Amino acid sequence: MLKQWLMRLRFLLAPKPHREIDEELQFHLEQQAEANVAAGMTPQEARRQAVIAFGGVEKTREESHQQRPSFYIETVLQDIRYALRGFARNPVFTLTILVTLMLGIGATTAVFSIVDRILFRNLPYAHADRLVSVGMVHSLETEFMLGYFYYDWQRAQKPFETLTSESATTRECDLTERNPAQLKCTSVEGNFLPTLGISPVLGRNFLPQEELPNGPKVALISYGLWLSHYNLDRGILNKPIDLDGDPVEVVGVLPKNFEMPRLQPVDVLFPLTAEEAADKKSNSGLGGPRRAFARLKPGVTIQQAEAELQPLFQNALKLVPADIRYDFHLKVRSLRDRQMQDVRTTAWVLLGAVLAVLLIACANVASLLMARGAARQRELAVRSALGASRGRLARQALTEALLLSIAGAVAGCALAEGLLRFFIAIAPATIPYLDQTRLDLRIVCVTVVLSIGCGALFGLAPAMQKPGEGMLSGRSFTAISHAVVRQWLVVTQIAASMVLLVAAILLLRSFHNLEDQKLGMRTDNTLTASVTLGQHTYSTAASRLAFFQELTRRLRFGPGISLVSVSDSIPPGGGPSGRLDEVVVAGRPAPRVSGVVASRLVSPEYFRALDISIIQGAGFREEDMTASQRPIVLSKRLAGLFFPNTNPIGQQMRFGKEPWSTVVGVAADVKNGGLAKEEVPEFYRLRRNLADDWDVGGVWGKTSVVVVRSSLPAEQTNRLIRSQVAALDPTLPVDIATLRQRVAKLADQPRFQTTLVSFFAATGLVLAMIGLYGVIAYLVAQRTQEIGVRMALGADKGDILRLVMWRSLRLIVSGIAVGLVAALAATRVLSSLLYSIGPHDPLTFGLVTVLLVLSAIVAALIPARSATSVNPIVALRCD
Amino acid sequence: MPPTTDLLQGTLDLLILRTLALEPMHGWGIAQRIQQVSKDALQIGQGSLYPALHRLQYKGWIHAEWGASENNRKAKYYSLTRTGQKQLESELENWGRLSTAIALVLK
Repeated sequence: MLKQWLMRLRFLLAPKPHREIDEELQFHLEQQAEANVAAGMTPQEARRQAVIAFGGVEKTREESHQQRPSFYIETVLQDIRYALRGFARNPVFTLTILVTLMLGIGATTAVFSIVDRILFRNLPYAHADRLVSVGMVHSLETEFMLGYFYYDWQRAQKPFETLTSESATTRECDLTERNPAQLKCTSVEGNFLPTLGISPVLGRNFLPQEELPNGPKVALISYGLWLSHYNLDRGILNKPIDLDGDPVEVVGVLPKNFEMPRLQPVDVLFPLTAEEAADKKSNSGLGGPRRAFARLKPGVTIQQAEAELQPLFQNALKLVPADIRYDFHLKVRSLRDRQMQDVRTTAWVLLGAVLAVLLIACANVASLLMARGAARQRELAVRSALGASRGRLARQALTEALLLSIAGAVAGCALAEGLLRFFIAIAPATIPYLDQTRLDLRIVCVTVVLSIGCGALFGLAPAMQKPGEGMLSGRSFTAISHAVVRQWLVVTQIAASMVLLVAAILLLRSFHNLEDQKLGMRTDNTLTASVTLGQHTYSTAASRLAFFQELTRRLRFGPGISLVSVSDSIPPGGGPSGRLDEVVVAGRPAPRVSGVVASRLVSPEYFRALDISIIQGAGFREEDMTASQRPIVLSKRLAGLFFPNTNPIGQQMRFGKEPWSTVVGVAADVKNGGLAKEEVPEFYRLRRNLADDWDVGGVWGKTSVVVVRSSLPAEQTNRLIRSQVAALDPTLPVDIATLRQRVAKLADQPRFQTTLVSFFAATGLVLAMIGLYGVIAYLVAQRTQEIGVRMALGADKGDILRLVMWRSLRLIVSGIAVGLVAALAATRVLSSLLYSIGPHDPLTFGLVTVLLVLSAIVAALIPARSATSVNPIVALRCD
Repeated sequence: MPPTTDLLQGTLDLLILRTLALEPMHGWGIAQRIQQVSKDALQIGQGSLYPALHRLQYKGWIHAEWGASENNRKAKYYSLTRTGQKQLESELENWGRLSTAIALVLK
């Protein structure tokens, strides 16, 4: 066997010269002639008869040659050489098809790689398809559970294998060792990791006794913390670490790719030590809030699970006040849905856009190859007449299509890599895991196979028909069927670009509305620094007050600084914090208004620092900072809701069961509910220099935002803030950004969508115009003779132009008609992404129609004009 | 020209191998031998003989060597290789089975 292969290899490497076959055949001839002489013929006649009997020498030689193992490769090389020569002769065709393929493959691959990570990535849990997020929802909160019903649900539930929970909040905790740091800590139940199907890479999960209150202090740490602080030392399991001043035993290290189901960053996991009876009494009888996750039993659907949990949910609702019960619902959804709640639509829109571009690109490739095929019919006929078999012609066509596809795919992959980097650079941080996106090999394969398939299919079509004898006669031949298919392709392309353009312009206009709106505050020259105090080092309200008092004092005397304010949040952050029906005005019955209200704790300088005008009454004064009464300022919207006809100044108000406050002013409205949402009614409370005012808000109360207005450049002030915070406490992380940056960040996601979709729309438009140009140019070339005859019979240039343009306009109008219908249907998907513009905005549709008609007319006008310059004599003589 | 019988697909290889099993031979000799042995019923045209010889050679079943012919002319002599010998045996066996089967059906 080996010998056989070696011999084949030898023949492959050292081709035998033709001479040998010739000699051998010559010998055969002579032998035959000798035999003929022996039979009594004259030498001349013998030789003649021998040659006649022998038949075609050339054919035998060829056939013997074809037996060579290397023959196939030789043919392929020959085909490739031929194809390359053909491409070089026709560079415009080659370049167009390459650019089309590059754009199509590049854009598709890049976007699929991103969308794949978002929509279809494998969650790093065992059998993640059975993991669900479960809990109550209301208008202000996603799935949550409370201690008063959680334990009952855990015991009584049927649809889940296990139900587990994490504490609702991730808090700051301090690593108080030689290398101090502020860490993110949260607590989880003992069955949390087993439910997710995760086991620690080192050590073990929590033991049951560690889940009891007053049990041993233990923790699991993240791989990142293990790496950055303990240098992957396995001895970490034996020596306790100091967290918030207490020694804590590390029982295990989480896997490197571990992520919390809600994707929040976490360094340390504590066991959720809650004793049922005590937990049910806490939080004024509601129990501690949790986020619950569960693993469905095999074969149980989410709908079944939701139905089975309904009785438990109805029972839990009994503790919710009757008048707001309507707002509470049970929600069970897959973990993937929970993680992707906001970016899902974006991902689908991108996928749609990219499919439209791919459709246009494929239509272009098909159309170009078919035109080339039709133009080459005579060449094919000649080659066929010279003895090329149909298989050989098909192989040649296939070789060309493959060469183009492969070159296009290589260029496309390079483009995809570049695009991917660009997308990642402009993508907002809210799209999870984008920075980990790589070009996915599977996706590259899919698009390359798709483009090759597209090329092969349409490249092969013309070669597959046996060229008719008529082709050789020199008469021009019109491939009507091809022309019809190509016209349909152009209609499809125009329709697809219409959809893309409408989507892009809707998003652009929506984005413009978003950027252009009035924020109600000034964003220039304003720096904000967000500082979160750890609960160990700053455990008392007095220590937090002291920290910010000292920081404010130090900053106020900094160079160029005119104003410093401290508040618990700043717009557009903060957002709704309560329901309007909890607001009570003294001397009035409980209000009957629905909706949400926002509140902020601010210092007196707040309104001046953000340049929010006080439109009625006065703002907070410096002397209020130490007074015993509680002043509040209402937003214009809130004042309008509660005091439509009366003067709000001096009225007593309170929120829920808090102490009464006196209204001292009304401030202008500010974008406080996110950029795309309406202003939320808001009230401002003064955060006085009293420890009481620093003791609210639980975990959130520990974060404060310092707003600094300065005449110096932002970097200088930035350094100043950083150094002053570090002087007070070097372990504190500070998040500094200009107010403009913080506002711009909110527009990141719309900007991302808009950029991508506009990019696709531009690509699609260019490709569709190339396609239209190609088809019209081809039609003109086919009708050159007819045009010549018409001109010879007296048609002038205007007639010819009308003839060609009429044909083009029919294509354009049908494409736009189909596109309008498709776009009307498709933009409905966009409506949730649009801001103050409808999905069927007539101006946009009109604009796109005009744009498309104009560019299509330009694309058609070029070949149409060349048709008018046809010289009748040349046209009639050709062929 | 006497009437010839069309060769069954694939039988030419078998005939060549069988002929070469006796002694090394050049192409013309192979054609002559087959013609003689079959009493002129099988005439192998050079158009199929030489491609077949080349094919068998590339498959490694026969080996070619230049030598002197009976009348002292340079000629290419083909001989059976060891693989060719084995191939001949298995093809003969196949042929036997096939012809018996066909004979049974035609009876």
